[in-house]
Amino acid sequence: MFKAYRPTRFILFLFILVAALSTQFVFAQDQEPIKIGVAVAQTSNVALLGQEQVIGAQIAEAYFNEKGGVNGRPIQLVLQDTAGDEAGAINAFTTIIADNVVGIVGPTLSQQAFSADPLAEQAQVPVLAPSNTARGIPEIGEYIGRVSAPVAVVAPNAVRAALELDPNIKDVAVFYAQNDAFASSETTTFQETVTALGLNLATVQTFQTTDTDFSAQVTNALALNPQLAIVSGLAADGGNLVRQLREFGFTGLIVGGNGLNTANIFPVCQALCDGIIIAQAYSYAADTPINNEFRTIYKEQQGKEPPQFSAQAFAGVQVFVEALIRLDNIVPLETLDLATTRKLLNVFVLAGGYETPLGPISFTPTGEIVQAQYYVAQIKMNEDGQTGVFTFIR
Amino acid sequence: MAEFITTYGFLIVSMVFAAMLALSLYLPLMTGQLSLASPGFYALGGYIAAVMSTKVFPPTPQGEIFPLVYLLIEMLVAAVASALLAVLIGIPALRLRGIYLALATIAFVEVVRVLSLNLEITGKAIGIFGIPQPFLNKFEYMWIAAPMLILSTWFVYRLERSRVGRAFAALREDELAATAMGVNPTYNKVLSFTMGAVLAGVVGAVSAHFLNTWNARQGTFDAAILYLAFVIIGGSRTYLGPVLGGLLLTALPEVLRALAGVEFLPAFVAQFLVDGRLIIYGLLIALATIFFPQGLITPTMLKRLARRGT
Amino acid sequence: MQFTLFFQQLVNGLAIGSVYAIFALGYTLIFSILGIINFAHGAVFTLGAYFTYTLIGAKFGFNGLLAQSQLPFGLPFPLAVLGGAALAGLVGVIIERLAFRPLRARGADPLLTLVSSLGVAVALVNFIQYLVGAEAYSYPSSAFGGLPPSVNFGTPESPLIVRTVQIIIFVVSMLILVVLTYLINSTRTGKALRAVAEDATTSSLLGINTDRLIWITFFLSGFVGGIAGTLVGLSVTITGPYFGIAFGLKGLAVIVLGGLGSIPGAVLGGLVIGVAESLVPASAIGYKEAVAFAILFVILLVRPQGLLGRTLIQKV
Repeated sequence: MFKAYRPTRFILFLFILVAALSTQFVFAQDQEPIKIGVAVAQTSNVALLGQEQVIGAQIAEAYFNEKGGVNGRPIQLVLQDTAGDEAGAINAFTTIIADNVVGIVGPTLSQQAFSADPLAEQAQVPVLAPSNTARGIPEIGEYIGRVSAPVAVVAPNAVRAALELDPNIKDVAVFYAQNDAFASSETTTFQETVTALGLNLATVQTFQTTDTDFSAQVTNALALNPQLAIVSGLAADGGNLVRQLREFGFTGLIVGGNGLNTANIFPVCQALCDGIIIAQAYSYAADTPINNEFRTIYKEQQGKEPPQFSAQAFAGVQVFVEALIRLDNIVPLETLDLATTRKLLNVFVLAGGYETPLGPISFTPTGEIVQAQYYVAQIKMNEDGQTGVFTFIR
Repeated sequence: MAEFITTYGFLIVSMVFAAMLALSLYLPLMTGQLSLASPGFYALGGYIAAVMSTKVFPPTPQGEIFPLVYLLIEMLVAAVASALLAVLIGIPALRLRGIYLALATIAFVEVVRVLSLNLEITGKAIGIFGIPQPFLNKFEYMWIAAPMLILSTWFVYRLERSRVGRAFAALREDELAATAMGVNPTYNKVLSFTMGAVLAGVVGAVSAHFLNTWNARQGTFDAAILYLAFVIIGGSRTYLGPVLGGLLLTALPEVLRALAGVEFLPAFVAQFLVDGRLIIYGLLIALATIFFPQGLITPTMLKRLARRGT
Repeated sequence: MQFTLFFQQLVNGLAIGSVYAIFALGYTLIFSILGIINFAHGAVFTLGAYFTYTLIGAKFGFNGLLAQSQLPFGLPFPLAVLGGAALAGLVGVIIERLAFRPLRARGADPLLTLVSSLGVAVALVNFIQYLVGAEAYSYPSSAFGGLPPSVNFGTPESPLIVRTVQIIIFVVSMLILVVLTYLINSTRTGKALRAVAEDATTSSLLGINTDRLIWITFFLSGFVGGIAGTLVGLSVTITGPYFGIAFGLKGLAVIVLGGLGSIPGAVLGGLVIGVAESLVPASAIGYKEAVAFAILFVILLVRPQGLLGRTLIQKV
């Protein structure tokens, strides 16, 4: 054990710091793998989402390399942890850009995207956001696109599906996570839909994604006897809210936003998840060749159905790979330097159409996703109360 | 070198900001007040800059940079607003001591956070984005960050040697005795608290531009505890301690990230550096307090260095 | 507010308040004897929940070092709770040994221990994620032993509903309160504890083994935290490695409100904050999070020692 303070020790530390920073980079040569960056939250309290994104991206890496990569040249993911904050996202982005990637899939949160994406824009590195749904993301710049649909299209479908199941719905209680960009964007759409369909928006109750007790909000809402509850949040908080709604005796239909579109809510609300109507940007039940393959691999590895976050990360990597192939067919990649590759890749990404697990997608010139298929599913829980399925209803 | 700066420019400027935030916590500590209010003022300053630059000032034309003079105006407004709020909160709150004051200031930080989640002007959960850039790249923020750090460090250095600074120190060592000697405790405590608040508010104003976006996730309880760690690990008895603590602890997670990329490491070590980065970070914080209980820099050490120098 | 609504919210407040209380008891135990706040308590609370999950023989998910592994045996739930709590207590003792004792031996500033325990908390939370991933884990619903998920104390027309698990948490936190009060007021160890809390140097001169008492306190705090973690996990599932950390800040507000180091104070503080939060009008629900801290701020200005605290002599 050290007894007294000696300044040499931290001079040594400073030395290690400088040494570490300067031995970093080795330039990639041709015929080495093509590097695609994945910068998502692998730590912090949004790690659950990032963890799913890493799995999806890694499945894509193995899958496309087996298919021959980019015309014979393999791809290689470069993973960097953004953690859950803005500075972390910027640090991950700068590290990853310096690592000579051709494009980046990330970051996890919209707030992080507003912070880190301008750097990629300035460095002219194409970015595909796997899970940023807030308004204004593709508008950050010409190099910024997303494979995560903003909820404006899918949310209204879920409410209409609920009305078909129960035409007597009149009063609606809306709940959303006020500290989450995803949920607070989504709830605006839900609230507009409720009003547009001529229903009564009885109350809007807010909570925090870190909350676990919702009894106050549930009691407030149930006092108004709503026939429909709409929940925008993430898996843990959304699941607990659903569970507590049921335990407090709510018998009406529940519509869950896109954040609840994950099997991760099953352990939270268990048998009480049964019957939730979910707005989906991805359905694992979609019967397309690529989704069936993706689903099989995912199930082999993880023992459960693939969640949306994994599918979107897969799609992000896929878009880059397919755009690279088309680019390589016209101008061989080894004749291009990195900066030109990135520029042309961005053009090719936006120009193409892709058959992804999310269904056929393409992009508007600003980089907004054009997604052909959205789904509405209803959760059916199994007898054991621990596992369940999303059954397609619309 | 150029590549080093593009990669680490953001980190280096973040380190400088962290050093100033640590100083903002150190200032009230000079009078013995453990205030954790800095993130609240940091958030306030950031919102002021974010709102002014996106809604008040005329939009910056495409391809041009945000005028530096606007940034300076924002910093000034942030400073004045922070000072007013600090006096308002400080006068009642600074009757409290130790952990009670710490909690009261945390309460302030939490109230600021909840307010910004609820108000339209702060953009609720999404916050304010597309904040214009006064510089071409992140490293150029040094043009403003470096003078700010030098000025604030110099200011605290001078302060420690001034009449006011001696009054602060007297209050920290023994409030009863200091009061008996004619030091006004409330005035001096509110003064040190306000100086800390102004510094945090101004750093917030620049940070809003620096991070491109501002939202309720900036300036939280976690941040407060982190700043405290900067001060304690750097050394809470001299102005250089918080500066060094802020610089080092901000760099540490990124150093660990970079270490994982070093070539000759065995694969499992590199993998653990990636997956276990924050485990190591946490352990290093705990170990630092044990091995350097006075902090990395102590007044005794500075004296010894000074003697060696002459 | 209508009467039934008011009454239901009051009950909700007591229910969530007892969660705050049971969390804060662990903080307060250590504060009462050492005068410091153990930021790692949230992590110990989380670990307790994971330990119980492991001991019932349940399987981990697909992420982390322990992916897909499980114990070869499974304990019945009540035994697993006690086992998990004992392990959490042990972790408490280890934290004391590694992060607190070296500092105490040097007579370090209490602020140092705060930062040191923070470092331990960061390391533990990330270690949990390293081992078992970030996903949520839930105990099998049979842990309830066939009890209904909620009980209606009102009539079908004007219901007054309480979740069964909340009743259990309320009862257990009262039970812990009673047991701790008995331990501290009526046993030899308890008296020694109080003596150490009063003046550690004098008590050690009088032949009290201070180190032993301190690790006993850490064990108790970890044990209570472990039980609390499991019960809250039962109520809302273990939502991930940050499960307990989420209560850390609220817990601080609770113990300061109740009076630092006062065991009944922690319970009272928890209940007061829980009820106050639940009584926020429906239209102002967005400000619910700020209520605890607004109350805290006001109470601190009016009665700085907290509701049940003694006036402390300033030492720092």
